[in-house]
Amino acid sequence: MAEMYRLQGQGTSPGTAFGQIHLAVEAEETFASQTDASAEHAVLADAIRVSIAALRELVARSGPESAAVLEFQIEMLLDPEITEMAAGRIGAGDGAALAWVTALEDYITGFEQSDDEHVRARAADVIDIKNRVLAAMRGNPVADFPGGSVFVGQDIQPSVFLAHDWSSGGGIVLFHGSAASHVSMLARAKSVPMVIGTGIFNIAGEGKLLLDGGSGSVVLHPSDEALQQVLSTRFSPRPPEDEAEQRYAAELQTADGAEIGLSINVNDLSDLISIDREGIEGIGLLRTEFLMSSASDMVNEERQYGIYRQVLEWAGQKPVTIRMLDLGGDKQFHDSGEREGGSFLGLRGIRLLLARPEILRIQARALLRSATHGNLKVMLPMVTLPSELEKTVRIFREESTLLERRRVDYRMPPIGIMVEVPATALMLDTFGAADFFSFGTNDLAQYLTAAARDNAVVADIYAHAAPAIFRLLEHTVHIAATLGTPVSICGDMAGEQEYIPALLGCGLRHFSLAPAQLAVIRLRIMQLNADGTMAVEK
Amino acid sequence: MSNKHDARLQETDHVTAQWQTEIEVVHGIGLHARPSVIFTRLAKSFPCTIEIEVNGSSVWLNGKSIVKVMGAKIRKGSVLKIRADGIRAAEAIAALKELVEHNFDEGKIHGRNV
Repeated sequence: MAEMYRLQGQGTSPGTAFGQIHLAVEAEETFASQTDASAEHAVLADAIRVSIAALRELVARSGPESAAVLEFQIEMLLDPEITEMAAGRIGAGDGAALAWVTALEDYITGFEQSDDEHVRARAADVIDIKNRVLAAMRGNPVADFPGGSVFVGQDIQPSVFLAHDWSSGGGIVLFHGSAASHVSMLARAKSVPMVIGTGIFNIAGEGKLLLDGGSGSVVLHPSDEALQQVLSTRFSPRPPEDEAEQRYAAELQTADGAEIGLSINVNDLSDLISIDREGIEGIGLLRTEFLMSSASDMVNEERQYGIYRQVLEWAGQKPVTIRMLDLGGDKQFHDSGEREGGSFLGLRGIRLLLARPEILRIQARALLRSATHGNLKVMLPMVTLPSELEKTVRIFREESTLLERRRVDYRMPPIGIMVEVPATALMLDTFGAADFFSFGTNDLAQYLTAAARDNAVVADIYAHAAPAIFRLLEHTVHIAATLGTPVSICGDMAGEQEYIPALLGCGLRHFSLAPAQLAVIRLRIMQLNADGTMAVEK
Repeated sequence: MSNKHDARLQETDHVTAQWQTEIEVVHGIGLHARPSVIFTRLAKSFPCTIEIEVNGSSVWLNGKSIVKVMGAKIRKGSVLKIRADGIRAAEAIAALKELVEHNFDEGKIHGRNV
C-alpha cells in the first residue's frame, strides 16, 4: 500500500470527501487529414449542431445556475467568429477536427493569459466545447467516471461535472483550477467538496484520497488514523471559539468585497436548536406573537422576560431584534375578543398596542429587563406615523423610570421600526428618531398592490409587486443613508435568491431570513457584486 | 431617451443606414460571461452588422461574437461605442444601448419581471 501523503491547496467548495481516485488523462487527439472540403464543412456543422442540441437538452433538465453555464457554452458554439475561423482552416486544407481545434486554441490561450480572473476561468468552458464537438464528430458521448470517486486532474469541464451523478458522493481535486470557474460555482451549488491549486502530484497506482474543501487539505492514501480524525471532527460539535467557523461567519462578502450581514428570522425557540450561531450575524426578527400561546402569556411579564432572556443568552453578544406583538390582520388577538373581519388595514401592529397600552407596557418592561442579558434591539410593527414611534419610546422611558425606582436592572434598547406601510417608506425622512429600519416586504407588497397576500383571487397581482417594491426600496435606502440609520430587510424576499441581485442593487447590505434559506442565499451573495450584478458568471 | 438624438447625428435613413452611439458603462462588472451572452444574443437578433469599440481604441469588434465581446474588456467606467450598419440599424442601436443602460438585463435570464 502506498504511503500517506499530504498536500495543501485552496478549498473552493466546503465539505469532506473520501473516495477512489479517478485520474483524468488528457485524451490524445488524432486528426485525420482532409478528404474533401465540403464534406469537412458538413462534418463540423453537424457536430456543432449535435453539440448545441445536447446542451439545450441539458439546459432543460438543469437548475438556473447550471443552465446559465450551458447557455454560455451554447453562445460560444454559435459564435460567428469561431465558426468562420474554423471554416477558413478547412478552406486552407485542414480536416474538420483539426480546423475546429485550431480555431479554438487561440481563444483558449487568449483567455488563459488574460489578466482578469473571470476571463481566465472561461478557458475551461472553451476547452469543454472543444471536446464536446470533437466527441460529437467521433460519435462519442462525453466521458464520465465512476460514481463516488474523487476526480483528479488539470481541470474539470462543466459538462463533465454536470453529466456526472454526484449522489453517491465524491469530490474534485484540481492541480490548477480557479475559484471563479463555473465548476467551482457548480460544486458549491451542488455541495460537492472541491480543492484547487494543489500543483501536479504523482499518484502511485490505484488509491484513495481524502479531501477537505473547507481547509483545502488533501491526503493521498490516508491512514486509518487520519480518516478517523477527519470523521470525528466532522461529526462532533465544534467549540464556539473555533477559528475556522468564525472566519466563515465574518467573511460573508460580495464578490467585490462589500460586507454583507445575514441574520435569521425566528418564529419558535425550537428553531434555534439546529442553528450554527457562529454562521449568522444575529437574529434579525423574532416574532413575539408566535411565542405567546395565549392571551394570558401576553400579559405575563415574567413569562415574556424568560423567553427573551433565553434567546438573548443563546445569541451571546450577537444582536437580537425582537419585534413587539404584531396582532390583528391575519394574526388574531388570541382569546381577546378583538376581531375585525380579517382586515389588514385596521387596528393592528403598533396601532393595536397603542390602543391597548397595558399590553404594550408589559412587553416593554419584559424587554427592558431582558436587555441586560445581551444585545437587544426592539422593533415596532406597522408604524405609519412618527407620532406612533414617539409615543412608544415615551412609554419605554416611563417604564424604565418605574423599573429604576423599583431597583430592577434594565437597559434601554435601540428602538427601530418595521417599514411595511408605503406611506412610512415614502416619508422615511420624518422617522429620524428611529434607531434602525427593517423592511417587511410581505406587507409592503400587499399594501402597495392593494392585493391581500392571503387571497388566492388576487395572488397573481401580489406576486408581481417586486418591481414596485424595488423602486420604493431604492428610494428608501437612500433616505436612510442620509439619516445615517442602519437598514435591513426581514421580509420573505430576503430569502428568495432570485431577488437578491435587485435587493443588493437597492443598496441593502443586511438580510434576515428563514434559517433554511441561509446556505443558498450565502452562496448567491458570494457570486454577486455589491450592485447586484453577477461576478462569478452563471 | 437619448438614443434617437445620438443616432440622428449620424444618418437620417431609418431603414438601412449606419447608426452609432456612445455610452459609458456605469453598472457592474462589464461584459463577463452572462452579460456577454445577453448582449450577443440581442445583437444577433438584428440583420445589420454590429460592431463595438472600447475606450477609443479604434479597434472595431464584431458585436455578435461572444469571444470578441468578452475579450474587449468592457468594464465599469469603460466608454463603449456601438455602431450598426444595414437593415434595422437604428433599432439595434437603441436596443443595445438600452441593454447596457439597464445593466444587461440581469434577472431577465430567468424570465422574471423584477
